[in-house]
Amino acid sequence: MRKALLVSLTCWIMLAMPWALAAPEDVANDIAGRVTSPFCPGVTLHDCPSQAAADLRTRISAWAEAGWGRNRIMATLESEYGPQIRAVPPASGTGLVAWVLPVVVLAAGAGLALTLIRHWSAATRRARTGEAPEPDSLSLSLSERRRLDDELAAFKGR
Amino acid sequence: MLGRPALLCALVAMTGALVLFFLGARTDRRDLSEAASRALAVAAAFISLAVAALVSALFAHDFSLAYVVNYSSRSLAGPYTISALWGGMEGSLLFWTLLLTLFSTVAIRSVGSTRPVVVSWAGCVLAGISAFFLLLLIVPANPFTTMSEIPADGRGLNPLLQSPGMLIHPPLLYTGFVGFSIPFAWAMGALLSGQADSQWFASTRRWTLFAWSALSIGIVLGGAWAYTELGWGGYWAWDPVENASFMPWLTATAYLHSVVIQEKRQMLKVWNVALILATYVLAVFGTFLTRSGILSSIHTFTEGDTGVWFLPFLAAMLLAGLATIALRLDHLKSDNRLDALVSRESAFLANNVLFVAAAFTVLWGTVYPIVAEVVTGVRLSVGPAFFNAVFAPLGLAIVALTGIGPLMSWRRMSRGALGRLIRPPVIAGSAVTIGLAVAGVRSVGALLAFGFCTFTAVAIGGEFVRGSRVYRSRHRLGWAPALARTLLRNRRRYGGYVVHLGVVLIVIGFAGSAFKVERNAFLKPGESMKVGAYNLTYEGMRQARTSEKQINEATVVVGRGGSRIGVMHPQSNFHFAQRQPQSEVAIRTTPVEDLYVVVTQFDADGSAAIRSFVNPLTWWIWAGAAVMALGMGVLLSGGRGEVAPAAARNAVRERVVVAG
Repeated sequence: MRKALLVSLTCWIMLAMPWALAAPEDVANDIAGRVTSPFCPGVTLHDCPSQAAADLRTRISAWAEAGWGRNRIMATLESEYGPQIRAVPPASGTGLVAWVLPVVVLAAGAGLALTLIRHWSAATRRARTGEAPEPDSLSLSLSERRRLDDELAAFKGR
Repeated sequence: MLGRPALLCALVAMTGALVLFFLGARTDRRDLSEAASRALAVAAAFISLAVAALVSALFAHDFSLAYVVNYSSRSLAGPYTISALWGGMEGSLLFWTLLLTLFSTVAIRSVGSTRPVVVSWAGCVLAGISAFFLLLLIVPANPFTTMSEIPADGRGLNPLLQSPGMLIHPPLLYTGFVGFSIPFAWAMGALLSGQADSQWFASTRRWTLFAWSALSIGIVLGGAWAYTELGWGGYWAWDPVENASFMPWLTATAYLHSVVIQEKRQMLKVWNVALILATYVLAVFGTFLTRSGILSSIHTFTEGDTGVWFLPFLAAMLLAGLATIALRLDHLKSDNRLDALVSRESAFLANNVLFVAAAFTVLWGTVYPIVAEVVTGVRLSVGPAFFNAVFAPLGLAIVALTGIGPLMSWRRMSRGALGRLIRPPVIAGSAVTIGLAVAGVRSVGALLAFGFCTFTAVAIGGEFVRGSRVYRSRHRLGWAPALARTLLRNRRRYGGYVVHLGVVLIVIGFAGSAFKVERNAFLKPGESMKVGAYNLTYEGMRQARTSEKQINEATVVVGRGGSRIGVMHPQSNFHFAQRQPQSEVAIRTTPVEDLYVVVTQFDADGSAAIRSFVNPLTWWIWAGAAVMALGMGVLLSGGRGEVAPAAARNAVRERVVVAG
């Protein structure tokens, strides 16, 4: 058990290493892809071809090389250009809805499909074995079921 | 001179077609339907005349027309004068209307005299849609508006659109968008006429496949255009207009899969009609997005009143479609039920859930900025980071299902049989994932993508091997002839598998972006920079001048491992007519990786700002698209008889039942 835990921990550390060891320029490029360019409407800073955008990218690179973390760079950009500079909805408040809704739709769709498949395949199985479907409204207790069987047997015996 | 009168005549003819189709449908009179069909052809002829008038005005530099002034110039190279037809909003709507009326005419005529009432109702829908577009061309988006003062030259076409890709990409996208009108009209026609049996979808499937194929190739060509022209090192930015083309593609893909269940098992009829409706509405929604200015995108046309016209049209199509489905629900009951959880039907259903969830995700991400602005008052944007995070798991699940689906049999399958078939692909996929992890690949997404792609490729390969084995043993054929016969004897099935293989290659290309490297530097002549394993030395700048632009070209020597491997020439040009700078990218492409170099700025002392990228495996995206196109060709080349034999049988059976 310990061995498995150790192996899995090592794996996760190895997989997380690129984030920890990312070069400042890679951090800057990544951030430029996560913010909207104040100079090209609807385009990320990374993709904006204007000179002003190139200058801002250079500033972000300089911050990254000076050892600033992602959060500090994002906060600085947000204080300069406002919250609309973020090209990724925050995972809190109203922004959370952006992330959660697709998952809810997928889960609802998967749940519905699974229910339908189960319902249909059960009906097909019953039809194949000749078993009559049990009406949803007819839910009997064990004693009621025994009484029903007895009375049906008595009825048949008449 | 001819353009506007031609459009007015087309509107009159189209209104006539609409009325005649309606009367033909209501009275079941074939002569009225035939007259309507002729009126539709006349309208198409008038629209062709209007297009010819605009194209000849563009070539003749007739600057009395505002459209010619805005989108062309005397220096515009010949082939790109054609691009100017769809380079502006009015021209693109004219081109759209031309395609719509041509497709409508062909679709109506191709069915001949079968099912006259269905044809009449479908014609009614198509004529109604065409009349709306003609009205747009006559009122808010008139391509024949004249100038009060005639200038000596035009403003020219946007330099970004002066690319070979732009000669093909927009027409293919429009073919896709417009092509979806035909299945929509056919489905509505079948429902309105009360003949929603098995035959209507046989026609819709073929048209959907045609439109879907055009849209698929159009989307990939759009990516290739972005990659080679925009200079940011990528091919897909999840831009609202890109998304607008992707959403109907996703729902159409779902339909093309689920219609197989309808054909084989007479199930999911309501769902299929809903998918056709969704596909058409999303195609129109994309047009609305592009023309309304509601969302920012580099692909949108200038803002105008046209977008406002689309909203009521969009709402009318959606409501009318939903109401028609609701009214005819009793015609759309399933004849069969699903037999078991482990079956191909279940795999198709899961596929549909994933595709529709993917379409919703893209739609939601696209409209979220508007929703957020309404709720919070702050204009937000949703960029690639959001879409990549939400879409990637769905995409990977779709790839995995692409491999599992073909292994499953119809109706039911034992878990043991599935286990036996699935074992080789699982082993291959796991081996690749583990091998790459051991070799040092650390991106979880890329590892999963390569693993799932291998799984699916091996599963599909196995299908080809099993199919060919039969021909080899029965007819004593070699592997290649047996493979060819397998492909050609069942084009629908194996053509579909070829398309799936293309998708696998494309996903491999996407996964390569996890290892993308980007480096930027400001270099003086003689200075070098490193990007990935390459060493780039900027040697200097060369200038030249044409009638269209000032060319500023950098010479960049590429070295690797100490040896010189080539020279690249990225440009940063200035276009006179548009007063606009434009970068021309230099790309050195191989199946392993692309070296992508852009020069964004030159200084007076000859220094250059250089952006360079190493994009691994991008080549596989274009190769995958070519394989997909091959598969589409195989699918579309299947004869009508091959398209829907089960559907035809069912239709005959239903008619016998009805007659009896």
